[in-house]
Amino acid sequence: MQTLNHIGIIALNTFRESIRDKILYNIGFLAIALTLFSIVLGEWSVFDRSYVIKSTTLSVMSLSGLLISIFVGISLVQKEIQRRTVLTLLSKPISRVAFIVGKYFGLLAVVIVHLSLLTCIYYCILWVTNSGPTVSLLTAIYLIFCEMAVVIAVALLFSSFSSTILSALFTLGVYFAGHLSDQLLEQVRFASRMGELHGASSAILEKAAVVIHAVFPGLYRFNVTNYVVHGVQLPDMYLFWNSVYALGYIGVFLAVASWWFSRRDFL
Amino acid sequence: MIEIEHLHKTYRSGFTMKPKLALKDVSFNVEAGQVYGFIGPNGAGKSTTIKVLTGLLNFDSGKVLVNGISPRNVKSREYIGYSPEQPYFYDYLSGRELLRFYGKLVGLKGAELESRIGWALELLHANKDWIDRRLRSYSKGMMQRVGIAQAILSKPKLLILDEPMSGLDPMGRRDVREAIQQLNRDGVTIFYSSHLLSDVESISHKVAMIVDGKIVREGTVDEITESCGVEYHVRTRQAILEADLPRGVSLTGHPQEFICSDDVARDRLLGYCLSNGIAVEKMDHKRPSLEDILTEEIARADA
Repeated sequence: MQTLNHIGIIALNTFRESIRDKILYNIGFLAIALTLFSIVLGEWSVFDRSYVIKSTTLSVMSLSGLLISIFVGISLVQKEIQRRTVLTLLSKPISRVAFIVGKYFGLLAVVIVHLSLLTCIYYCILWVTNSGPTVSLLTAIYLIFCEMAVVIAVALLFSSFSSTILSALFTLGVYFAGHLSDQLLEQVRFASRMGELHGASSAILEKAAVVIHAVFPGLYRFNVTNYVVHGVQLPDMYLFWNSVYALGYIGVFLAVASWWFSRRDFL
Repeated sequence: MIEIEHLHKTYRSGFTMKPKLALKDVSFNVEAGQVYGFIGPNGAGKSTTIKVLTGLLNFDSGKVLVNGISPRNVKSREYIGYSPEQPYFYDYLSGRELLRFYGKLVGLKGAELESRIGWALELLHANKDWIDRRLRSYSKGMMQRVGIAQAILSKPKLLILDEPMSGLDPMGRRDVREAIQQLNRDGVTIFYSSHLLSDVESISHKVAMIVDGKIVREGTVDEITESCGVEYHVRTRQAILEADLPRGVSLTGHPQEFICSDDVARDRLLGYCLSNGIAVEKMDHKRPSLEDILTEEIARADA
């Protein structure tokens, strides 16, 4: 109970710290500008206007969420260490696990506020441009949120033991690996079937692709923009199983981050 | 309240993780109700010891207990208040907001939290209008007061202060000194490090001196200074030639003023004066200060 209380207090403080961060406002304004720009893109495009507005805005949500998760997320722990505020905080009867989890939920709250704001703007645009605002679009937004929840956990994991720049690079690496691992596996298997890869190199490449696919979180699962925009029905329980999938990865990443952070010395 | 036995701590730094022994077989005890001063030069291991006690640093070997609990256990920190050297806080908060944040972390809320904040600020003479300003506008002295205020909010059994008087003007030093003494009268055990040896001499029940990661002296101020001997300064009405001075007696630079290294030398000089009809005008005894002893210990460690 006390631990939950500590997590809540740290999360609230993290939220308060993040919403006073200039980076957040820059990303937020950029996202709103790009969302509004999607109307112009819709007019210019040779494709269906409502398709362009819907898919562009969902991509903007995903991209801005990613930028917040990486740049604000990584600086959260690093700032505490560099400014030595962590010394006073961890000298209180607070476990380091509560510190990491509190930071996580604080940033998650920032992402929720950011996505909620963009969702409101999104639906206003769809309504004004008569582009068919449907409830099913919320499915895609929810999965973007799940993806960001995983990316924040990755960012916290790396920032618990490495520098700001390295953490950003590692997190971006996981993001791209998570989006491309499915395609990589498919391409390697396809090339192997077509006879373009031979012998040992084929086996090694396929095993490497399988390992990458298994280890990195499959973030491609959370990108359902094309299905939703075109009104394609997602399989039953898709949201449920992907939520469980995201929770599993978040749990593992936070556990490793907490374990690593618990071993750290603070000078 | 604090038990440390054979504590060793190594830092590893650089690409090769070169080890540096920061604490070498450190042992001492702080009993409940004491004001315990921890002194030593920069880099001697004071802050390292304090961070081990507060669970911020892991240690290689030895036994460390705070109120009977290892600092590796979060529970040990329920009894501790800690203010680091040059405290840094969230500068987007005001001093009062910061105290509310830390107060909530130690389980305070509502009217109790507000009254505890008021008590801490009163004790440190910090209940002024600046407490509602953002921390980024604070001077070092204001920051130090807020740092100590957050440490005492939970009314801890043990208060650990790392250089609590650094950066304070004479008034601020007096306020902090008085706050430490008041808290101690209220039953709080205080363990603090300081460079200001005159303050340490005036308020500490016991003192440990650390040089190059080793405890070189421990005890009350009297025990430490007495263990280093007492010098006697004697002034006579007539000059005595240096060649005639008894063993253990030296000139200060003035032909009628002499320093006796101990009481035997003093008796020899008085005997010489008596037998030669030389009147003694004045005699004083002088103990070395903590500063003299620390300087001597540093020189010994460097040699």
